[in-house]
Amino acid sequence: MITQQHASTPIVEGLFEIVAGTPKLIGSQCHGCNTIYFPQALSCRNPKCRDKSVEQTFLPHCGTLYSYTVQRYQPPPLFRMDHWSPYALGLVDLGKGLQVMGMLTGIKLDEIAIGMALKLVVEPLYSNADIGEKLTYKFAPAERAGAA
Amino acid sequence: MTRSVYVLGAGAHPWGKWPDKPQLQLAHEAMNLALADASLAWPDVQGLVAASSRFEGGMGWGLHANEVVQSVAEQGIPCINVGGACAAGAVAFQTAYALIASGQHDVVAVLGAERMPKGFIPRPPGSPDDISDSDYLRWVAMGATNPAYWAIEANRRKYDFGTSDETLARATVMMRKNASGNRLARFRAATSVEEVLASPMVADPLHLLEICPVSDGAAAIILGTEKYTRKTGRKAVEVAGCAIATGHFGDPARRIPTVSTNVLPNVSHTSEVVNAVNRACEMAGIGPEDVDVLEMADNTVWHLLSWPELFGFYEPGQGDWMLDNGKLEIGGQLSVNPSGGFLSFGEATTAQAVLQICELTWQLRGDAEGHQVPDATIGMSAVLGLGANGGSVILKT
Repeated sequence: MITQQHASTPIVEGLFEIVAGTPKLIGSQCHGCNTIYFPQALSCRNPKCRDKSVEQTFLPHCGTLYSYTVQRYQPPPLFRMDHWSPYALGLVDLGKGLQVMGMLTGIKLDEIAIGMALKLVVEPLYSNADIGEKLTYKFAPAERAGAA
Repeated sequence: MTRSVYVLGAGAHPWGKWPDKPQLQLAHEAMNLALADASLAWPDVQGLVAASSRFEGGMGWGLHANEVVQSVAEQGIPCINVGGACAAGAVAFQTAYALIASGQHDVVAVLGAERMPKGFIPRPPGSPDDISDSDYLRWVAMGATNPAYWAIEANRRKYDFGTSDETLARATVMMRKNASGNRLARFRAATSVEEVLASPMVADPLHLLEICPVSDGAAAIILGTEKYTRKTGRKAVEVAGCAIATGHFGDPARRIPTVSTNVLPNVSHTSEVVNAVNRACEMAGIGPEDVDVLEMADNTVWHLLSWPELFGFYEPGQGDWMLDNGKLEIGGQLSVNPSGGFLSFGEATTAQAVLQICELTWQLRGDAEGHQVPDATIGMSAVLGLGANGGSVILKT
């Protein structure tokens, strides 16, 4: 059997989607208090909320860098990445009280600055002939003032 | 009406890597030391509360108390096994405290004994490989190691308060200096700011020597009533405050292993531990300013700088000045981790919180040979575990 060579699939089903060419994180929003969650949640977690029911929503795809680090050691095998080298992990403030962690891309490790504007992108983590490309979400530098 | 509860005895096996001693043997040795310290023996023990480990022992069900009792003194006593991950020792202590305070029993033992696996801690069996499991997500989607979470906190601290790399390194130097006089600590050699900063970078800005490794270790405490503490003929160490707590929604801490945080204004950072500390203080009728010794979970140097601020010992950002000016050393304004802390012991997860309370006991009795805080009369512990478990114990003489 010949497997499809160029299939691209998310690293985990239900994490993100490409909508009209723009990558979007899939989260949940509470019907009662409007709190947003990532990833999709079983229930609203706000202790003051009496509704608790949530529905799927797309999260804002732009944010600002709250903090970051550079991982200098290769994580254990559950994590896979072609051509491993130290990379940055950011904590990105998406507004509405939600901060999301993700890999940073498209910027030199020594040029990362807290407060910089970022946008969501999707890039391959690893690939081979059997499974095709596995994609994850990352954050890349964005123009300020509502661009992207 | 509750009864006063006292620490009758404390004992700990030295921390390290002990490939030739099974977990059960470490447990026995710690229990024997604590019983001897209390001038008691197994026939006196009316109940045992053990911290459940997921790594070794406990017959695969976390039945560590049952396993110990069956191997040394099967005598019909209640065996309670409690979970709480790295805070399990504090949950065990709280449980034993309640058994005595309520009047149910007069002498109850608390135990935490742990042998840690080599390398990265594996995921538990049966975890789902999908978006419902944060631990799966953080590995496959971004490879976020535990140090990465702490490093993100440390980098933000540098941004907020201008904390320098030298100040961060100085926290390790202080822990090693304290440990040099503590025979139970695993890493007792002095180090320097230069040596710490020359150690490999793990996750910027944290170097290898600024992050606690894992160790094997065991600690036990015997709790009892006033009548029993009088019998020891020694200075009484009373449990003045004792609380466990969980976190608050909106806590801005980067909680392992989540990949997102809902942040709300006016919610404490590391709220599970802050909640426990506040309740323990309220119960003891004291404030942070009354505490002579703080034994806290220093998984990294960032914790040493930030936690006392979160607990209200001093203003946010002041930790740098306190550390740089020696105010946190043994005999300083607030002695933080005179034991040498996790950075000098390595973390034996479920045993760690019990060891903290052993250390406070020895400090208050004046028995902390080689690392004694002069005239310590009030000591506080603070610990954090997976699942947003916080624990804090206040002892006084």
